[in-house]
Amino acid sequence: MKETWKFLWQMAFLMALFLASNWLVGFTGLPMPGNVLGIIVLFLLLLTGVVKEEHISTAANFLLKHMVFFFVPVAVGLMQWGGVFYDYGWILLAAVVIGAILPLLAVGLLGRALRRRTRRKEEESCSPM
Amino acid sequence: MQSYVSISTVLCILGTLLAYMAVRALYLRYKHPLINIVALGAAIIITVLVVCDISYAVYEPAAKIMTVFIGPATVALALPLYRYRQVLLRYVLAILGSVCAGTFVAMFSAGLIARLGGLPQEVVISIIPKSVSIPFAIEIAGLYGGIPSLAAAFVVATGTLGSLMGGWTLNLAGVKDPFARGLSLGTVSHAQGTAAALQEGEEQGAMAGLALILAGIITAAIAPVVVWMVLRFPAVG
Repeated sequence: MKETWKFLWQMAFLMALFLASNWLVGFTGLPMPGNVLGIIVLFLLLLTGVVKEEHISTAANFLLKHMVFFFVPVAVGLMQWGGVFYDYGWILLAAVVIGAILPLLAVGLLGRALRRRTRRKEEESCSPM
Repeated sequence: MQSYVSISTVLCILGTLLAYMAVRALYLRYKHPLINIVALGAAIIITVLVVCDISYAVYEPAAKIMTVFIGPATVALALPLYRYRQVLLRYVLAILGSVCAGTFVAMFSAGLIARLGGLPQEVVISIIPKSVSIPFAIEIAGLYGGIPSLAAAFVVATGTLGSLMGGWTLNLAGVKDPFARGLSLGTVSHAQGTAAALQEGEEQGAMAGLALILAGIITAAIAPVVVWMVLRFPAVG
């Protein structure tokens, strides 16, 4: 029973944080979605220690574990767009496939090179000691 | 004013829960990347709706209720970001540099192909945020004149594609570094790529989770610029 209340409180807190961020974006005209601002705000609250990991972890872990569930009804909305896929199939396929391969390579090669550079610099700054 | 939830809405929610639990059990049993929970779950529900000759309008109220939790679920992503703050700090430049570049390439290449292929403007805008998680893509597409549910479709397509051929593409390019592989999968294929990265190893999974959050934020930040750049090109066809 205590666990259930804890879960519900944490869920209410995350929901309140999301709604507040959403409201703030609408109010200030910040160029980002409310949920993005919500992540940044919660991250800062965790970093500053205002919110502790255990204050949110029960509900947060549950939501993250089942995050894909909430996207199932979103994807059902696809059935309205069958016509678009039928009309533009090949171009859409090209856009999605090429649009995945190019950035996969870009991040993989660049990430590896930049990490090596960081490590080399750390070694250089340590070696003269 | 009378407000009530109709029987059909309750049935749609129960049906969606049932489809989710079945597909999830299947995924946990076989762990195969082709068992894509979102794509397969939605396919089951669409099939049932089409076979029973039920229109999307009947399902829509149920979808609205279930997607309420997408907001707090995305906010919860701050927790893994916080847990990996040490790695984040140490390689901050490598992470930001590669995820920024990759995010731009992902958005611009797909948008440009769609634009030059002569697709309608709202379809072009909807494909641009295809590499981020659905909640980001929905918001971004809505903000700049795209179609949210179509944007979600491109996200699902990209996620499935990335988890299918992401590892293979990186092997071909000789990228073995788990850090770079994780970043790459998370940047391009969001949560689905992150799941694929987790199957490779813990470091890949952690970096993919970080990349998917950063890619979402970066995509939201540069979306107006990329949309503007892509629409500078003439629409052919």
